[in-house]
Amino acid sequence: MAIPILVFSTDKTRGKLFSRIIESNGFNAKLYNNSADLDYAVRTRRPHIIVFDARHCQPREFQLVESFPGRFPDAEIILITSAAELPSFISAGFKGENCFSDPINPEEISLKVKEIYFIKNKAFLRIKTYFVLLGVLLKGIFSGDRDNPYIVFTKKIILAGAAALSVMVGIAGGFIFYSMSDLPKVQLLESYAPFESSFLYAADGTELAEFYLERRKFVPFYKIPKHVKQAFIAVEDARFYEHHGIDFIRTFGAFVNNLRAGDTVQGGSTITQQLAKMLFLTPEKSLSRKIKEAAISMQIESRYKKDEILGFYLNQAYFGARAYGIEAASQTYFGKKTEDLGVADAAMLAALPKAPSVYSPFTNPKKALIRRNLSLKSMLDRGFIDRQAYAAAVKEPVPEYVNRKKYTAPYFVEYIRSAMEQKFGDRLYTAGFKIYTTLDLPLQKKAEKATADGRAAFAKAGLGDVEAALIAVDLKTGAIKAMVGGSNYQKSQFNKATQAARQTGSVFKPIVYLTAFKNGYSPDDMIDDMEVTYSSSDGRQQWTPHNYTRKYYGRVTLRTALSHSLNAATVALANIVGMDKVISTARTIGITSNIYPHLPAAIGVSEMTLLELTYAYTTFANGKSFIPMVYEKITDRYNIKVEDNAPKGVQTIDPANIAKMHDVLGAVVTEGTSVAAKSLNRTVYGKTGTTNDYKDAWFIGFDDNMTVGVWVGRDNNRPIGEGMSGSRAALPIWINFMKED
Amino acid sequence: MSDKNDDAKAAVNQKGPEKAKEIEHFGGPIGLDIGTTNIVSARTRGSSVHITKQLNAFFTVPASKITGMTLLKNDVLYFSQGGSYYIIGNAADTFANTFNTDTRRPVESGLLSAKEDEALNVIQSIIKTLVPPPKNQGDLVCYSIPGDPIDTKISVLHHDTILKRTLQDMGYTAIAINEGFAVIMSELADESYTGIGISMGGGMCNVCFSYLSVPVFSYSIQKGGDYVDAMVGAAVGESQTRIKLIKEKELNLLKDPKNKIETSLSIYYEDLLETLILSIQRVVTTSESVPRLTKPISVVLSGGTAMPVGVREKFEKLLKANRLPLQFSSVRMAEDPLNTTAKGALQLAIAEEK
Repeated sequence: MAIPILVFSTDKTRGKLFSRIIESNGFNAKLYNNSADLDYAVRTRRPHIIVFDARHCQPREFQLVESFPGRFPDAEIILITSAAELPSFISAGFKGENCFSDPINPEEISLKVKEIYFIKNKAFLRIKTYFVLLGVLLKGIFSGDRDNPYIVFTKKIILAGAAALSVMVGIAGGFIFYSMSDLPKVQLLESYAPFESSFLYAADGTELAEFYLERRKFVPFYKIPKHVKQAFIAVEDARFYEHHGIDFIRTFGAFVNNLRAGDTVQGGSTITQQLAKMLFLTPEKSLSRKIKEAAISMQIESRYKKDEILGFYLNQAYFGARAYGIEAASQTYFGKKTEDLGVADAAMLAALPKAPSVYSPFTNPKKALIRRNLSLKSMLDRGFIDRQAYAAAVKEPVPEYVNRKKYTAPYFVEYIRSAMEQKFGDRLYTAGFKIYTTLDLPLQKKAEKATADGRAAFAKAGLGDVEAALIAVDLKTGAIKAMVGGSNYQKSQFNKATQAARQTGSVFKPIVYLTAFKNGYSPDDMIDDMEVTYSSSDGRQQWTPHNYTRKYYGRVTLRTALSHSLNAATVALANIVGMDKVISTARTIGITSNIYPHLPAAIGVSEMTLLELTYAYTTFANGKSFIPMVYEKITDRYNIKVEDNAPKGVQTIDPANIAKMHDVLGAVVTEGTSVAAKSLNRTVYGKTGTTNDYKDAWFIGFDDNMTVGVWVGRDNNRPIGEGMSGSRAALPIWINFMKED
Repeated sequence: MSDKNDDAKAAVNQKGPEKAKEIEHFGGPIGLDIGTTNIVSARTRGSSVHITKQLNAFFTVPASKITGMTLLKNDVLYFSQGGSYYIIGNAADTFANTFNTDTRRPVESGLLSAKEDEALNVIQSIIKTLVPPPKNQGDLVCYSIPGDPIDTKISVLHHDTILKRTLQDMGYTAIAINEGFAVIMSELADESYTGIGISMGGGMCNVCFSYLSVPVFSYSIQKGGDYVDAMVGAAVGESQTRIKLIKEKELNLLKDPKNKIETSLSIYYEDLLETLILSIQRVVTTSESVPRLTKPISVVLSGGTAMPVGVREKFEKLLKANRLPLQFSSVRMAEDPLNTTAKGALQLAIAEEK
């Protein structure tokens, strides 16, 4: 041994004795009889062990040995002295367990030296040490030599080991107990309901949109084809059907491989463990989490069949491209349902959960191909597929990115999403609702075409960036059948049909007339159409409304006043019936926007949305006030109806007044500002609206089936163009939409 | 001791007429037991140990031409000094018997005799009959010395130094070994040289306790075979030589004494053994160096004085009757009691040479 054990004794015989005791145990001992030599030796050799015989020592030698612990803290001092002097050395700071009194006890000293050497030289790290100890122990056991110091030493080691093991087992047990104290309940899987997308359908059942936090569509395990399950088993957990949640062989193999690689190159987790982690645990890497994972895995295994577990896993796993679960992944990557996946498709999907972005066929097709073929090879090696199937599958290309989502009626979708979010909160994105909307897809397309044509016409006339919005409402149900909120949803998500509050111009006027009818007037009653200046109640403000053409017709019927959109007559009428009543009427028929409580409001200075005005006109059509209806029913993930949305119209206008409204609004088409609508060759009703400087152009009208509102204007609220009145800008779009195909 | 060994062939004393033959030289280290009665040398020859010995005694006769010629003719080892012929070694005993008297000893009670003027010359002469000049300067010779007597203030230093110088002058590297330790070296190799070795010689008994080949204590008592012979002789009115003869040839301490000599021998043997055991008890209990042993140790007896039948048994009985802080597994006789010390010395010499 490189560093000898230093022995000091002033008594040569005792010194030799100590040296020989040490040497007899296989150590090198170096004997010193004077303190100067010892001091030099300790300084130069830096021994691990000093055996110091304090008998017959002089004060100088005592001082020397007392200085060692401070000067050489790494050196252990075994001190031998008389029984009488022993306490004084211990109180001077020498370790009690290293101090011995006469008579010299060779066994005691041997054991102590071995013990210290064992620790200091890290002999316990050498396998050889344990072979030697085992040999000695066995020899001692067979020879019955229980007093053999090696056996005594070995016993101590075993006892110490057992004690340490007990402590470790205790600590480990405590830690496991602690870790498992907040173990989630596996029974929760009974009501396994992963985050599932909600879907939006048009009236004809066409999928309009998918709302999700994790884009997922649950597919029951029995609908997953066998080869798809086998692909995942081959790749993720070959002994899936053999283990009970934890694959110790795989774990050990992974441990060895990772140790060799010096990095995590192989995972040891089974499918069940991965499921436990995905469902119940956080992704943190900790021992506590691993213990929980193992415990949960075993619980899952004891409670569920293997196919059920695999089903949970396949529905829960993330496959990249925002696809959660096998069904979403199938749709995303292959545009197929899970049950239609082929062998190559299954192998590709099985390769993804490990590193979805790395092996994504959309972003890394080469890596994806290699990885997929490895999956196929695993399937072949495990006998899941034959050579023929393998050869065919490896020839298949990996899928390329296809934008499978066609966003129809984006403004309508966003409108309803917002409404549904208010209704369901975050559950909208996780609960798997199916929302059957009122949107009539052919009508929607017609609406989009009509507005697009209108914008094209504006463009042709040199008027760029003109926006058009359209809403069609079913008269019987109050359901929105079509909605165009703007020209380009990607460019602007601002919905001009529902969100844009604009001055209404003349489309507000029918409310004044309805108020008059409700107050006993009829379309044939007369009103003065002349330039009148109105003063505010305090007399400080004055206002003179002018007709659009600046012509005044004197006494006119209410029918004429509205059909020709005469401002002066309408203000006169409002002045007679009172603006408060007008506002009250507006509220009754569903206008919720602020209304300026003075006469100018009668000719549309207040700002309103196309949505509320279209619904107001719906009330003109049939006397019923509707809350905008956008869906017919909602079901949950199990197709159980959550809500049946029956039409909720409230009769707010009596039939006589409905007739009067039909009279005056019909006259607008037949003899007034909207005669162009006569081209439809059927009875329609409506009213144009134009705001100052042609900033907004409106036409809202109805036939026997639906009310349709059209607004034309610009996002920046600048004029559309000279002369772009409601009848010129909005009505053509309305007519285009209302045309029968 | 009356053992004759004809292997001793020559004296190399330059002072007297020589009748010397070349001593067979085997080479290698030499173990030398310089006892009160005999000087024994041990050397290795192949795998065996070769022993030669001479009586450590002399006998003087007046010097004359005729006597000188007779001695030469009969191969007697002698040297001339101060008008006398000093007949040395085994021949001295023959002459003493012839003249019905005792031989004289250069060593008394284990140490160089102060009474004999020519003790040094005699012992040197005898040594030279047993130890040839070294083949190589510095060859090892290990010689036995007694332990310091326990009950007197006598030191072995003088004795030791004289012998060392004698051997060094012959060209050897001389190292001393305690007689008791030599017994341990010879007999207790299988017990890691741990135990008590006792050499019971003519002039003294040497005791050594060794632990793992470290002599923890060694000492001597100046009582030995000669003491027993002298005391018994005085008690029964017989010559020491006769008593010695009876002791060596007939004594059996296990049987009841048949006569007053055997009775007296029994008494004095018991006294010797008691003295020995009490001394062990005294030293063991007072030594600071005796380790606490959990395993029993062996005691080995050697030397001519230990040889009479029953000595071992008596010793064992007395040992067990006395309380000692050591446990004893056995008391046994050395394999070759008369040569044990020399063999032990040889063992040490071999070990040192390595």
